[in-house]
Amino acid sequence: MGKLKNFWREIVIFLSILGPGLITANVDNDAGGITTYSVAGAHFGFSMLWAFVPIIIALIVIQEMSSRMAVVTGKGLADLIREEFGVKITFYAMLGLVYSNVFNTIAEFAGIAASADLLGINKYAMVLGSAVFVWFLIVKGTYKSIEKIFLIFCFFYVAYVISAFYTKPDWHQVARDIVRPQITWSREYLLLLIAVIGTTITPWMQFYQQSSVVEKGIKLADYKYSKLDVICGAFVVNIVAFFIVLVCANTLFKSGIRIETARDAALALRPLADNWSYYLFAVGLFNASLFAACILPLSTAYCVCEGMGWEQGVNKKFREAPQFYTLYTITIAIAALVVLMPNIKLVPLMISAQTKNGILLPFVLIFMLLLVNNKRLMGQYTNSRIYNIIAITTVVLLIGMTIVLLVTSLMGIS
Amino acid sequence: MNQIKPDYSKPTPNPVFTYFSAFMDQEVLDTRGERIGRLYDIIVKVAQIYPQSTSLIVRKGFPNHKYALVPWQNVSQLNPREIILNIEKSSLVFAEKHDNKDELSLRRDILDQQVVDTYNHKVIRVNDIHFLRVENSLTVAHVDIGGRGLVRRLGFEKWVDLICKLIHPGARYLKLERLIPWKYIQPLSINPASMTIKINVPQKQLTNIPAADLGEILQDLPLTDQVALFKSLDLNTRAKVFMNVDFKTQHFLIEELGFAEIATIINVIPSDEATDFLEKLPKEETKEFLKIMESKQAKKLSELLGYSSDSAGGLMTTEYLSCGKGQTVGQVIQYIKEKSFKVEPAQYVYLVDNENKLLASVNFKRLMLAANEEPVEKVAFPKTYFVKLDSSVKEVAYLMEKYKYYAIPVVDEHNVLKGIVTVDDILSQVIAIAWRRLKKINITPKQ
Repeated sequence: MGKLKNFWREIVIFLSILGPGLITANVDNDAGGITTYSVAGAHFGFSMLWAFVPIIIALIVIQEMSSRMAVVTGKGLADLIREEFGVKITFYAMLGLVYSNVFNTIAEFAGIAASADLLGINKYAMVLGSAVFVWFLIVKGTYKSIEKIFLIFCFFYVAYVISAFYTKPDWHQVARDIVRPQITWSREYLLLLIAVIGTTITPWMQFYQQSSVVEKGIKLADYKYSKLDVICGAFVVNIVAFFIVLVCANTLFKSGIRIETARDAALALRPLADNWSYYLFAVGLFNASLFAACILPLSTAYCVCEGMGWEQGVNKKFREAPQFYTLYTITIAIAALVVLMPNIKLVPLMISAQTKNGILLPFVLIFMLLLVNNKRLMGQYTNSRIYNIIAITTVVLLIGMTIVLLVTSLMGIS
Repeated sequence: MNQIKPDYSKPTPNPVFTYFSAFMDQEVLDTRGERIGRLYDIIVKVAQIYPQSTSLIVRKGFPNHKYALVPWQNVSQLNPREIILNIEKSSLVFAEKHDNKDELSLRRDILDQQVVDTYNHKVIRVNDIHFLRVENSLTVAHVDIGGRGLVRRLGFEKWVDLICKLIHPGARYLKLERLIPWKYIQPLSINPASMTIKINVPQKQLTNIPAADLGEILQDLPLTDQVALFKSLDLNTRAKVFMNVDFKTQHFLIEELGFAEIATIINVIPSDEATDFLEKLPKEETKEFLKIMESKQAKKLSELLGYSSDSAGGLMTTEYLSCGKGQTVGQVIQYIKEKSFKVEPAQYVYLVDNENKLLASVNFKRLMLAANEEPVEKVAFPKTYFVKLDSSVKEVAYLMEKYKYYAIPVVDEHNVLKGIVTVDDILSQVIAIAWRRLKKINITPKQ
């Protein structure tokens, strides 16, 4: 009896702590992510599904460090960078973050525009409406209410899982391809593989996750639940990504259709599958883009103000925290307006957002490794030797991959 | 909030003043002019109101930094262009890290860190440190939290100033120095040995901050700093702060400091606030507290906890002034002066008989205006209204408003005086009820 009671107690604590990890991970499946996964499925079928296993591990390793730093130091990543590396490094890191996040936000609004197109809604109305919604959500909300809305967003990713079942995949084949993947060592395959990994682990999510764990005020004693939250998030996000690949692999790849965007994927789905998977795909894209569009400007404004020592927080009035509100508002406004510019090419914009992430990611990961191994900050909670080997290997691999991605995408654009 | 702004006025452009950023990472030369390393940090003694430099730390090597401590008497030249020591390079001992427990390291503890501005009651981040130079030694005068300090640290001061002067010579930016005098600064760095804040011994500015503001500051800090700051306060301030933080923070402090520590705090807070707090706790935790508290206080509290929280019994405090019949006004005034209370009592004295049954009441004004020899019952109010232990909040509020009472006595069924409900307690209840109603009909009052 006592055991059962304890079990329920643990569940309740876990549910109260659940959030930051799950939300951060899910935001990875944003417009850019869905596009990349769709292309991976359409071009290489089931043969890239195996990649989600190492991605889960990498994601857990990196995000766990973020949330451990948050719980032990009680400070955000930008705070720690400022306090340990000084104002100069912080300034340039924040400049990079603002720059890349503005592009990321543009990519999300591009996703919103694309889904409006698919659902037959006026693009201008949808983008402007979303921008206003995002702005009001943060300015008029509290963290608790916002987090609940975010968790609802997470739930809508189920759309992809359902649409995968609609396409009736051959599960035996799927299982075979995960266990014994057919890796084709072509240049295109490798690049896409790197893109899939690169879109899942981004610089801004390290800042966002750490801040939101701090904001939740999770105590050291409850840290194990926070860890579980990270693990849950990593699994959920990759399962969703897995199903996106599956949908496209099962329909587009089999018919040999090549696509460039998530919009292409949805359009191609219509004749191959049925209307239901088409709509589910479109709604999923909208949900994911809007979700990320909510979080990116907020996380940017928070981090910059944190690092530069300006007043921050949605509980302050404009006069008290002018920098915070200015940054937040400008990011949303720029993103929405760029997307609505006539004749703008959205695909290169999305790609350039990923390139910008790639430039910033190595620095952020190195800062994180230095900070998490700082005895004065972390006390007994620094990385263990084995954990460090795993973490450093992951980081080195990720940096290597982003450099490759960067070089090729730079060449690709020019 | 009406507050006087601290003196942010522009420091006179005088070589006597200088900024930390001017020395930071400058080359340090030994007596023979050989390069030793770069100035990394300055250690100051916190024993005075304005701390004085005692030693500097030289850093060398990359990426494995090594640090050496140089006592201030070995510094022969210190200006932004050159830092020269009067000893030889070989006499310095370099180590992997520099540790000092009690003193303040400016770079590690102050610069770029968060500190409390005890004047404006805010947590701020330090952009630069402003020194007063007396011969060769440095005295910390202000911390800079303004935009100009930020620009200076980034090394753009000249350029930004130039552009500003070209475009808009009268720009606010050029005059905008946000310097806060050191005496208002409370560092938040933690002494690793005692896990308390390295307190500024002579100033104790923190205790001058109103408890409500200090509570808010506390909640703004990271959890470890919350505990450290809380532990650094004296018992009375702790008690005040404890009552001014939200329940989540209270609960966190219990977990961190233990029941015994918090019980000493509950011992000194007014009984009505103590019951408010204990009521919110789970049953087992309340019992735990009552077990380890002073037995007298515990008995009183467990009795109060028996009353419903929205009745007069649940709201009342058991601290009040009372006197017997037959005393003179002079005696009663003397008694008021002698009696020290945890909170200011409402301005009434209650007349009771031997069994503590309520007879009448008198307020301070009446006592002041009466002659000292007069018996107290003569100056008492002709009639005293009271409420019962189980009277509702509404009833209490109604009576207090009707008779313009600052406090109303609470009696049991035998008319025995049990406590008083003060106007601030009833006001917070009534406001809470009013708020709920306002929300229901969707009117948000203007802020």
